[in-house]
Amino acid sequence: MRKKLLLAAAAAATLAAFSFGTLSAQDEQVFTVGISNSFVGSEWRTQMIQEIENVAAELSDDPELGVDIELVIESEDTDAAGQEQQIQNLVNRGVDAIIVNPGDAEALRLSLEDAAAAGVVVISVDQEIDGEGVVNVVIDQAEWARISARWLAEKLGGEGDIVLIEGFVGHPANTARMTGVEEVLAEYPGINVVGRESGMWDQATGQQVMSDFLASIPNIDGVWTQDGMASGVLQAIVTAAPEEFPLVTGEARASYVRLWESVLADNPDFTGIGVVNPPGIGASGLRVAVNLLLGNTIDEEQLAGPYGNTLYVPIPWVLLSEDFNYVNMDGEESLLPANFDEVLEEVAELPDSYTLDGILTAEEAAAYFVPAS
Amino acid sequence: MTTISAPKTRSPIGRTFSRNPFLLSLILLIIMIVINRALQDNMLEIGPLNGTLRTMMPAIFLAIGQTFVVIAGGVDLSVGSILSMTNAILAVMITQEATADQALVAILVALAAGLGAGALNGFGVTVLRLQPIVTTYATSFIFAGIALRILPEPGGRLPRDLTSFYRNPLQLSESFAIPLSLILITLLVIFWLVLSRTRFKQFLFATGGNADAAYTTGVRVSRVKFTTYLLSALFATLGALALTLGTGTGNPRAGELMTLPSVVAVVLGGTRLAGGQGNIIGSIIGVLILGLIGNIISFGDLDSWVRPLVDALIIIAALAIPGVIGLVRRLNQ
Repeated sequence: MRKKLLLAAAAAATLAAFSFGTLSAQDEQVFTVGISNSFVGSEWRTQMIQEIENVAAELSDDPELGVDIELVIESEDTDAAGQEQQIQNLVNRGVDAIIVNPGDAEALRLSLEDAAAAGVVVISVDQEIDGEGVVNVVIDQAEWARISARWLAEKLGGEGDIVLIEGFVGHPANTARMTGVEEVLAEYPGINVVGRESGMWDQATGQQVMSDFLASIPNIDGVWTQDGMASGVLQAIVTAAPEEFPLVTGEARASYVRLWESVLADNPDFTGIGVVNPPGIGASGLRVAVNLLLGNTIDEEQLAGPYGNTLYVPIPWVLLSEDFNYVNMDGEESLLPANFDEVLEEVAELPDSYTLDGILTAEEAAAYFVPAS
Repeated sequence: MTTISAPKTRSPIGRTFSRNPFLLSLILLIIMIVINRALQDNMLEIGPLNGTLRTMMPAIFLAIGQTFVVIAGGVDLSVGSILSMTNAILAVMITQEATADQALVAILVALAAGLGAGALNGFGVTVLRLQPIVTTYATSFIFAGIALRILPEPGGRLPRDLTSFYRNPLQLSESFAIPLSLILITLLVIFWLVLSRTRFKQFLFATGGNADAAYTTGVRVSRVKFTTYLLSALFATLGALALTLGTGTGNPRAGELMTLPSVVAVVLGGTRLAGGQGNIIGSIIGVLILGLIGNIISFGDLDSWVRPLVDALIIIAALAIPGVIGLVRRLNQ
């Protein structure tokens, strides 16, 4: 890690020396950015940190930007007290910015407010925090869930029995997602929810729950589930091999894309959806942080969310094998194109655990800020 | 002819160490502080010191309560759940608009619930005569369940005056401030020193050392054991109070990962896991050592995965030291 950073810095310095710009290596602004992550037992989080490292190197390499980003990564399985200590250690080190994926958003609020008050740029990714001086960079989890719920309801023609397999009950992201699902389903009185169970965001648990549903409920027409469990759910259906496959909302992961392809061999009509929940949100957060560190001002009109301090990052894209005309709650239509074959090719070289991703570009990040006059 | 060497007269230093096993931990702590200070310039400045000690307070309370139970020959695997439960009660009852009276009532309710939990443990161990490890493991699920019932998801928000008072250093004069947690730790040490002069302490050690012998000499073993579970639950509740004031909110799973570290801190502090010997000052030191390991790993730029490894090595070392000392002694004779 450290070595990689030094190389990145050296490369940036070399480029700067040869570029036409006026910046030399001495003029580079060095920013120390702390990362605080409280959960390592998930490939999603690993990818989140890797993408942050990639974007940090990319930004440091950019001669136009003239910054050198040094990362301090605090990542371990820990509870709220442990993450509070991570944050304090980062502040005591004198970092310029902190990007945090909070395990318990409410328990970290006071410590992050203290950090912001001490002049540290504080960005919360993946979860919103109601903290003074904190900027949240997240996707809209409710909207994320509405897309696949709408797809399922439309595909079923507004009729049928479905089961819901949700993540951790009580987790804010799960609560937001299930609210989104309920909002959509309320528009389809012909759809009956005949079972609802937690799959704990775990493939094995998801598989078990789906097996139990298949054994106990006859004729399930559809399954709404989330990422982290959908491969297990589909596996359970493949194993049970019912005469008619229920429709399943999938997940945007390499493993699922491959599983989907293997199901197609026996069921050419099989289709699904995978809405991308990008691990690159951490790297998007870094882009926002660097803008703030460079002294740019956030365009107040872009701030939204329950606490008025959130920048919503658009859901990057959706995995589909057939075009889908998505209509959101406001009645706005958008055509989501089929891309399954291309994605299948793209993930061929990638590990099963890879999550389909999306990161804000420099231009997209800059769009959240007041243009320099 | 054989010569039997007379038992070695131990030096005064050796005696001091064997009477106060926590002195070894104290040396380890001092080493930790020196390393941490070398890596982190501002470690002993008021702000960072206040923050570091504050985050350790819940663990310190848990370890102190655990010490009583361990000295009496038991173990309490429900302390984390009791902390979760009372944290949930405090977070639900102390709302942002709460008055001082309402906050006081909430604390009394939390204490009552905590003591009730301790009484249930004590009942299982002393009346039903169940194994402490099984009893408290089982009750931990009851208390964790109650926590989730009271507060299904993390939340609640305390008045800012209250959290600010607890979180910030205590300003004693214009130019002098001291971390509130340092005052609390001092009070806890004084509490132990006073307790050491009472008969309860003798009963406690006798119960853990040899319960049958203690019983025949008139120690009410069951009553002493019961009291240790009450004390353990009481301190877990105080830990919850520290956590609630520190974070300003509640989490029904707050204590989930805190039970085992409390046992580890007790062992690190020189308290014998088999009972009959121990000291809460050592347990406080144990918590500080565990906390500083995290800081050293962080400031030493070591990968975070090193931490469980280092924790494990230190625990094994702490468990092994008495054995090694005994072995050396036998070899010398």
